[in-house]
Amino acid sequence: MVETSNLESLASSIQAVASPFRGYLQDLYEQYKGVMDGAVADYIPELAIAKPESFGICVATVDGQVFEVGDCTSLFTIQSISKAFVYGLALEDHGREYVNSKVSVEPTGEAFNAIVLDEKTNRPYNPMVNAGAIATTDMIKGKGSTERLKRILDMFKRYTGRELDINVPVFLSERATGNRNRAIAYLMLNFDMITNRIDETLDLYFQQCSILVNSRDLAMMAATLANNGVNPITQERAIDGRYVQDVISVMLTCGMYDYSGEWTYRVGIPAKSGVGGGITAVVPGRIGIGTFSPPLDEKGNSVRGIKVCEDLAKDFGLHLFNGAKPDRDLEEWMNGRPADGAW
Amino acid sequence: MPKVVSVHSYRGGTGKSNFTANLATTIAMTGKRVGVIDTDLPSPGIHSLFCLEPEQTTKTLNSYLWGDCEIQDAAYNISSNVGITDAGELFLVPASVRADDIAKILKDGYDVKLLNDGFRKLVKGLELDYLFIDTHPGLSKETFLSIAISHILILILRPDKQDYQGTAVTVDVARQLKVRNLMLAVNKVHSLLNGDALRQRIEETYSESVAGLFPLSEDMVQLASEGVFCVKYQDHPISQEFRKVAQKIIEAN
Repeated sequence: MVETSNLESLASSIQAVASPFRGYLQDLYEQYKGVMDGAVADYIPELAIAKPESFGICVATVDGQVFEVGDCTSLFTIQSISKAFVYGLALEDHGREYVNSKVSVEPTGEAFNAIVLDEKTNRPYNPMVNAGAIATTDMIKGKGSTERLKRILDMFKRYTGRELDINVPVFLSERATGNRNRAIAYLMLNFDMITNRIDETLDLYFQQCSILVNSRDLAMMAATLANNGVNPITQERAIDGRYVQDVISVMLTCGMYDYSGEWTYRVGIPAKSGVGGGITAVVPGRIGIGTFSPPLDEKGNSVRGIKVCEDLAKDFGLHLFNGAKPDRDLEEWMNGRPADGAW
Repeated sequence: MPKVVSVHSYRGGTGKSNFTANLATTIAMTGKRVGVIDTDLPSPGIHSLFCLEPEQTTKTLNSYLWGDCEIQDAAYNISSNVGITDAGELFLVPASVRADDIAKILKDGYDVKLLNDGFRKLVKGLELDYLFIDTHPGLSKETFLSIAISHILILILRPDKQDYQGTAVTVDVARQLKVRNLMLAVNKVHSLLNGDALRQRIEETYSESVAGLFPLSEDMVQLASEGVFCVKYQDHPISQEFRKVAQKIIEAN
């Protein structure tokens, strides 16, 4: 990071609070906080206690500017969002060829917990469905369960810039009710797609889903991917730059469960959602978006989170394949004089 | 488009609240919808100029910052208190004068993001043409924020050395925060000083324009913070000077 004087850095933090872009986010927050559609995930009691009114939006830029509105500090479990990042770690551990031989990258159109493998190759369809994520978790290197878990937590620390913890009741509950995932694992073991340390791998899988994050963390994780794998604030590398494109592409094609096709068409920002209510979305080279709002639509995606991403994509032309001049210029809104924003 | 005007001084005792009250009222009297917000949370006071008693204000800026109410609920229509009879409305968001509330602010601080969001909600909710921010003297995160979001920043200073130096610091900060319009107002000018020479010297020192020069006035002191001077003495030279400053605010881009 460039050295700045105290006055400059304080001025810049105040500019982020008062910038027209934060005002824009605040308006989005106000517009959607009253939306009461969707339902909080309740397949385990620990998730059902989430407050439906919780709502946070955070945007982090590849230069390290952070814009927050609403509740950006409350913690919730990362759930499926971890899958994209653990996939990246598996790629680092084994390389593209090996990982591809065990997990395909085809969208399924099936629900995330479907017990289905590719009929010809017996591979799970992609790393974002449970089957694929269990397979990638199995690949995480380390001596025993403790070291493997530590490597996953260390990786998330590099992405978020802070130590993360696991919500133990959620982990225990996921484990106690995880027979479907156990079935998927045994099916894959049958086809030699995973190793026989099934209990250890499933524990690791349930633990990584139970990591506690907030919307700011999700924005930093996305901004790190957007910044070619380097955390924009700590400047620490979180993932080998070669594999950033792998992670972002499966997010684009498979990240939003069986809504991924429509998501790519309507929003066009590679993203991953989790049933805890989080969404992390990557605009390569520019920003990371993190949203938190527990009520989910029937596909399992956060209702308010989708609306926020849709509006950001539309208003600032953030769709990957957008060629038209957007209504608003993102950099102008972020760096503009606070007084110039919409009052 | 609504305009946000911050009134600030580096040191206390410059007559900042009195200046804010008079300028806001003068502009409201031209038929505008004007809000005043007292962000001087450690030492609130502007409410007494507007004849709003603390007993009447169950909700304050503090209530909003602590999540107890919406900011609009802490806004009081004080047009009739002040004596604005024709078109134009004047609102005040007071700060709490309860010792316990002030202690809480000093102890816990508050989230400047909320303050910023509050300004915007107030402007929208009350459809304000002008929002005046009466700040706490000196420099803090909160004053940085108020300065950063203002269309116009007015710095009040007295003609003395301490104010000159402090104002120089504040002008540096304002430039760093890219303030679009900066105006200086000199208050409590002794009658023996040559006004034009003083104005020229200050403008040369800071390379900023002096919007108004206000004399050290016994007439103003006599009102003793009860009521707004420019309403009670509309033809007084001080009220005329406020009208000149008001015109500059209205014309500023």
